Amino acid sequence: MSHRQPRGSPSNVKSARPRRCFARTPDFVRRTRLAPPPEPDAAGEIRQGRGIGYPGAEPPRGTRGKNTASATRGPSRDAEGGAENTGRTVEHADVLVVGAGASGGVVTGALAEAGFDVVCLEQGHWPDRTDFPALRPTYELEARGGWGGNPTLRGRPEDYPVNETDSDIATLMYNGVGGSMVLYAADWPRLLPSDFRTRTLDAVGDDWPLTYHDLQPFYERTDRAFGVSGLAGDTSLPPGGEFPLPPLPIGDGALRLARAHDRLKWHWWPAPNAVLSRPYQGRNACAHYGSCMQGCPEGAKASTDVTHWPNAIKAGARLLTGARVARVLTDNQGLAIGAEYVDPEGKWHIVKADVVIMAANSVGTARILLNSASPRFPNGLANSSGLVGRRLMVHPFANVTGYFDEPVDAGGHVGAKIVSYEFYETDPDRDFVRGAKWSLAPTGGPLNAALPSRAGNSVWGKGHHAHVRTHLGHSLSWCIFGEDLPDEDNRVEIDDSLTDSSGIPAPKVTYRVGENSRRLLDFNIERAERSFAEAGAHRTAVESLMRFSGWHLLGTARMGEDPATSVVDGWGRAHDVPNLYIADGSVFVTSGAVNPTSTIVSLALRSVEHLIENRREQRTPR
Amino acid sequence: MTDDKLRSWLGAVADDLIPAADGMPAATEVGVTGSQLDLVLAVRPDLARALNRAWALAGEHLPGPALRLLADLDPRAHQAVLEIVAGAYYSSDLVKRLLGYTGQQPIPVRPEDYPAYLAEGLLDRVVDRGPVHRDPDSLSRRQ
Repeated sequence: MSHRQPRGSPSNVKSARPRRCFARTPDFVRRTRLAPPPEPDAAGEIRQGRGIGYPGAEPPRGTRGKNTASATRGPSRDAEGGAENTGRTVEHADVLVVGAGASGGVVTGALAEAGFDVVCLEQGHWPDRTDFPALRPTYELEARGGWGGNPTLRGRPEDYPVNETDSDIATLMYNGVGGSMVLYAADWPRLLPSDFRTRTLDAVGDDWPLTYHDLQPFYERTDRAFGVSGLAGDTSLPPGGEFPLPPLPIGDGALRLARAHDRLKWHWWPAPNAVLSRPYQGRNACAHYGSCMQGCPEGAKASTDVTHWPNAIKAGARLLTGARVARVLTDNQGLAIGAEYVDPEGKWHIVKADVVIMAANSVGTARILLNSASPRFPNGLANSSGLVGRRLMVHPFANVTGYFDEPVDAGGHVGAKIVSYEFYETDPDRDFVRGAKWSLAPTGGPLNAALPSRAGNSVWGKGHHAHVRTHLGHSLSWCIFGEDLPDEDNRVEIDDSLTDSSGIPAPKVTYRVGENSRRLLDFNIERAERSFAEAGAHRTAVESLMRFSGWHLLGTARMGEDPATSVVDGWGRAHDVPNLYIADGSVFVTSGAVNPTSTIVSLALRSVEHLIENRREQRTPR
Repeated sequence: MTDDKLRSWLGAVADDLIPAADGMPAATEVGVTGSQLDLVLAVRPDLARALNRAWALAGEHLPGPALRLLADLDPRAHQAVLEIVAGAYYSSDLVKRLLGYTGQQPIPVRPEDYPAYLAEGLLDRVVDRGPVHRDPDSLSRRQ
């Protein structure tokens, strides 16, 4: 294991830095206990024991993550801000961050570095790199089970179920430090300039309250922070800075497709990836395990557990793992005062804070806000617009696999080798608006050749071995992400009866692929088959809509200037609750058609730096 | 769950799915119903329940009819049987060796000093074709 997680003092040790909190009063430091203090041993268990996010403080393997909460439905629903009569421990911080994934790592790191006292609550745990399946002979089999992305099927104690019976696409995520980055492919594209202006340009969706050029400096900074390998000059974007690392090798297979696109005069470019092509900032370069989507054992793939959390904790941030947030609490002024969470033993606690930042992904954040309904906010917190949970976008995903007579080298990282934006922008001659991004990806090992998880077929009996031999190492896939136009009927709600293992009401996702998306995908599938034909593939296989493809969870708390038609402003601050922010992909106004992590973390950095710069104007609870 | 009769039935099904041919061993020759099955169920306990259902539904049938029956009556159990058999087979070191598969082996990445696509001028021509993105500042609403 090349990367070592930070070890050291308990995570509730305060930073030595001078405090720069929101309030101006010098006696601001508070460690409030609203309820009678718990027994010392109980307090120690929460604040110094299993709930603390340092690896050294994790419970022994085998017990980690077991959730023994009662089976009652949800936490007590007492008065707003109701810690009364609970007997629970209460922590205090300047800022509470909910979720330790991509955006949670970025905002916590920035705040801690700026001297804020930050607590982050994460329902999962630190990923254990020695437990990643890459090096086991059962790797491919495990990738389809406990290391898959669907939380309902995975069913770990820290996961919550999602009712997806009314959804065309199943949601995918990872609950733990690093968030879904732990299992992502690390494609690192940016939104294109037109993505921020779909209403103006194409009369669909809505314009964002910012432009590509507003975000470009943050894209370049997060490229450096995460360690992105790529080649500048891609004609799909305006000119900008260099990537911090040279591009990863594309392999002979992708070169074949690049030559084909050259003949077709179609766009292609070496893909940017948040995977290290060289050692960088103490991390090792990619070792070509080819297991990115089940955790990188080398630590070469960027995820905030390796890129941000170690420094955030050194700067004083307190990360509590195994802390599942049920709801955000509010006071009688309508301000957020913290959140209520349950630990793996089923004990309930409160963290109070002057500012609350949601970073729990577009399903998780919507779920918590809707579960935070109160007499003052009867439809859920920050939901006067009715848009919390609405406009869910997940990028309908199609897959075209091309098969070649000759071996095609597609080893190494599993993310995109090359990309094409040839059909990304609207063309008035087509019967749809907007477009798709293509990523060329490898097709996996022998189990996937025998039993494809994406496009392809199985052959059993006498022809089985010949089928596997002609597919294994002889195929490549164009992964086609289509733009997903916002539709208020595509939504996250609270399920009537489903709960997680703590009894907290679980989300229900309703999602249908729209007509524009279907036409868009069909057009791009046909073009991708043409691409493979030009590259010499003897045949192609198509999966026109992949159900288990909902990695990109976006849009359920969109940003905008009008409180009637948006949930947060252009800096991620809730219109209804001025000390509540949202930092994750929920704030996306439209989806674009690219993998969103680069944009999520860039928006998060932009928003949190605005919060820091304007801290003296920040309204906080008394 | 994994008693001898079930293993025997699964072995027949497995060899029907993956027989010896083309220089490759049959499924049971690499322990698909023995140690490999134990390995599979250890890492994928979720498959055990579906295997039991498959056995209960089709355990009295020969492999071909059994698989057709499962596909008709319980697609999830059918898929689980395929996943167990293929998963056990392709987790075998011998099978991987025979296929020449070396995946999931650490091979340090070496960024190319001057990639072939640059040497061939492929990207020069992409750049020469100009931007493929639209600039909102210079475009008006789509007509």
